[in-house]
Amino acid sequence: MKKKLLDMRPIYVVGIGLHRYQRLSETPYVTLGLTAVREALADAALEWRSVESAYTGTALIGMAASRPMLRHLGATGIPMAQVENASASGSTAFRQACIDVAGGLTDVSLALGVDKPGPVAMAPGKTRMRDLVGSRVVPFTHFALLTQEYMTRYGVSAEQIALVAVKNNRNGANNPYAQRQKAVTLEEVMAGPAISGALTRLQCCPVGEGAAAVIVASDDAIAQLGIERKRAVRVIASVTKTEQVYRGAKNFDAELTRETVQQAFNEAGIGPGDLDVIELHDAFTIEELLYVEAMGLCAPGKAAGAIAAGEFDVGGRCAVSASGGLLAMGHPIGPTGAGQIAEITRQLRGEAGVRQQPIAKTGVAHMVGVGAVCVAHILQKGA
Amino acid sequence: MPIRTAIHPELYSPDPADNPSLSGGKCRACGYVFFPPQRYGCESCGALPEKLDAVQLAGRGTLHSYATVHLHMGKDIEAPFTIGLIVLDDGPAIRSTLTSRTDAGLAIGDRMKSVLVAAGTDQAGNEMVELRFAKAEAGK
Repeated sequence: MKKKLLDMRPIYVVGIGLHRYQRLSETPYVTLGLTAVREALADAALEWRSVESAYTGTALIGMAASRPMLRHLGATGIPMAQVENASASGSTAFRQACIDVAGGLTDVSLALGVDKPGPVAMAPGKTRMRDLVGSRVVPFTHFALLTQEYMTRYGVSAEQIALVAVKNNRNGANNPYAQRQKAVTLEEVMAGPAISGALTRLQCCPVGEGAAAVIVASDDAIAQLGIERKRAVRVIASVTKTEQVYRGAKNFDAELTRETVQQAFNEAGIGPGDLDVIELHDAFTIEELLYVEAMGLCAPGKAAGAIAAGEFDVGGRCAVSASGGLLAMGHPIGPTGAGQIAEITRQLRGEAGVRQQPIAKTGVAHMVGVGAVCVAHILQKGA
Repeated sequence: MPIRTAIHPELYSPDPADNPSLSGGKCRACGYVFFPPQRYGCESCGALPEKLDAVQLAGRGTLHSYATVHLHMGKDIEAPFTIGLIVLDDGPAIRSTLTSRTDAGLAIGDRMKSVLVAAGTDQAGNEMVELRFAKAEAGK
């Protein structure tokens, strides 16, 4: 019989660590990755030799990234593999670590995301199926089209959408791991430069370098390795889906999010009203509006008003992108999904400092990626 | 006399210049109509390539959204230019460069039609054409 995550043995995030997301530098990817893993090990008070499998979410570095990096922690011979799933690479690496521990294959597993910007071969460009626009439509124009559609359908202004960038940069200014750590005004966001349609530069996420590490453990590991149980955060759902055929011009990003997060809610036995914190794929401002609606936090067309009213601020009814999100914390691709898990864990532990959501018991991490894929995880404190 | 060639010969013919059709596909098993054409298998039902027929899609549709691109790295076109998301009357939603460089005068719901625009000459001196979409005149 098929099982969902809650039917398997309980699993917990017990360690998190990051290397700050930043513009491309001379720092080797090895240093980025080791910084994050060592911080996660220290956070969990674990030795590297306790880790029994490792998955590296990476899309840009190239073949065979894991061992040439992780051997410098002491070569223990554990299984290692790279996980590439476009923007959802880190999320998918985390899911693999969860599956190992939940399935009883390991007691402690590592999910790491690490990347540096660089030239990359995109397989969709090799399908020999050209369309009319080719490279004239890059992601920011895909989302500019969705922005115009949303503004027209719901009578929402460009300024209302830009408020997402104001909120998320305010959060990023309080996150020492964020690439953009500067609060911005609505006027600064609107002042441009214009990129595509209504989207200005600050409404598009920075793609830099960085790393994020998450350690997943079983009850046995917590008991035997002396891990602090009250800081462990349980993973109660892990769901990933891919795009189906949606007729006409239906917005597949939102539709795929709706299906994936709904299944995660069903598996966890919760609903959107139970969420205290959300980290979602806000690579462009419009996405935050589309996805909070797709997740059921507010009715279609109502997200802009909810953001203006502060409902998704830290301290609001549900903190969305408390880390700064992709817009301010940044989107280094491989690390992004793992970094979301780190932020949710920090929030649910109550260790997020000035950006702490006051009551944080349940959170969801959500990524979409080219292809099109979607990954959702639900974490809960004390579960 | 020089001949006209299409920049995307697999997607449209270089004639007629006004309102050319697009080369799409249709699955004989499930009826799914798609663009661009492909011979790999049906995305909707998984039918084998031999079930996929080439069909011509009328170059008419409705503007679903649009965006004027201000920043573009490629050398094939100079910014600003405007991209339209158009739902063809024959079913598929497609993205096309529009004939107007900016979105002035465009509105979601506008009726749109295909046109061929000059796109330079190839090495043999033939006139190259590219399919774009333009706002259709009222009543058409």
